[in-house]
Amino acid sequence: MRALVAAAIGMVPVLLVILLFALVDLPPDGPTSPQPLLTADPGPQK
Amino acid sequence: MRRRASLVLLAFAVCLAAMAPTLRWYVFPRAVKIPPNQYQVTVLEAKPATLLNYSTLKAEQVEKLTIIQTLKGNVEESKRIERHAGRDVVVWDSLSYVAGPDGKMVSQIPERYIFDAHSQDPVHATGESVDGDPVRREGIEFKWPFLTEKRDYQYFDAQARASAPIHYKGTRTFRGMEVYYFEQTIPWTKVPMPKSMPVKGITAEFLARTGITRWYTTKRMFWVEPVTGAPVNGEEIHKEELRDARTLMGQDTVTAFAGHVKMREDYLRSTEELVKSNRALVLLVTSYLPRTFVVLSLALLALALWLEARGRRADPVRPPLTRPS
Repeated sequence: MRALVAAAIGMVPVLLVILLFALVDLPPDGPTSPQPLLTADPGPQK
Repeated sequence: MRRRASLVLLAFAVCLAAMAPTLRWYVFPRAVKIPPNQYQVTVLEAKPATLLNYSTLKAEQVEKLTIIQTLKGNVEESKRIERHAGRDVVVWDSLSYVAGPDGKMVSQIPERYIFDAHSQDPVHATGESVDGDPVRREGIEFKWPFLTEKRDYQYFDAQARASAPIHYKGTRTFRGMEVYYFEQTIPWTKVPMPKSMPVKGITAEFLARTGITRWYTTKRMFWVEPVTGAPVNGEEIHKEELRDARTLMGQDTVTAFAGHVKMREDYLRSTEELVKSNRALVLLVTSYLPRTFVVLSLALLALALWLEARGRRADPVRPPLTRPS
């Protein structure tokens, strides 16, 4: 019985991770880049 | 005391054992995605190339032709489409700008490519287009899905506005990385004239009125890093002809462009660096952490069982008390 309780406690963090990804929307990575679509060779890449 | 420790270890072992598949099959598809605000430039060159000179209307060999390809994530559009699609969507506005040896425009093709941020599956929404023409993509374009498989994929050809298989041709080593090599050959196909022409006064409509048609064939090659699905190298053997051109050009067929297009060395280097850093992150979630968790959970489970056994030996069940007769 105690082993079962220990296993159930072990499952709690996993269920929390699942719940976190199900409920929380990951924040967007930021706005659209202000850089333009290029119409000239930008030169050597650093 | 030993029994309590073994129960604690058992709880940790269960946690790690359950976390391993959770990371690989639950967290990975939700957390590993293409960012919606990606901005990436790639410069490709054909050295030498054959190019139509619109002033003499003859094909000439030029020293170099440059293709500047920009991919820009449109965050506002991706948010708008996500509301209806119910999944994470990336919208790439791209421009393939072809410049002649003097830097002047030869052609430019803008595109809007909409796809699932994780699976790379195309998402069909208003605005999906090539050179202003609405299209409905099937398959992939520019990038392969994460954990690319050793199989053929459907690859969208922007010139033909259609998808065709791109064949897996084997595993290669490119700059020390194991990559999958893919190849697609588009046979001679009639394709639309670009909306932007290099000479003022010559428009797609004008050429269409003269009866001229544009034909194209290409052999497209990609070396794809399979964990990220990112191409680390791309080449194209590209030929374009204007046919039925006797009225305007004095001959039936004129080469508009021919050349072997390759990624420029500096962009190969920067792409390699970007892919290597992203590859490590993807591997962390799909391989390194799950495997470590499985090994650790087995070790903790063994330790828990051992402690439990030791605890039982040290604390044997007392024999029942018997009354002396």
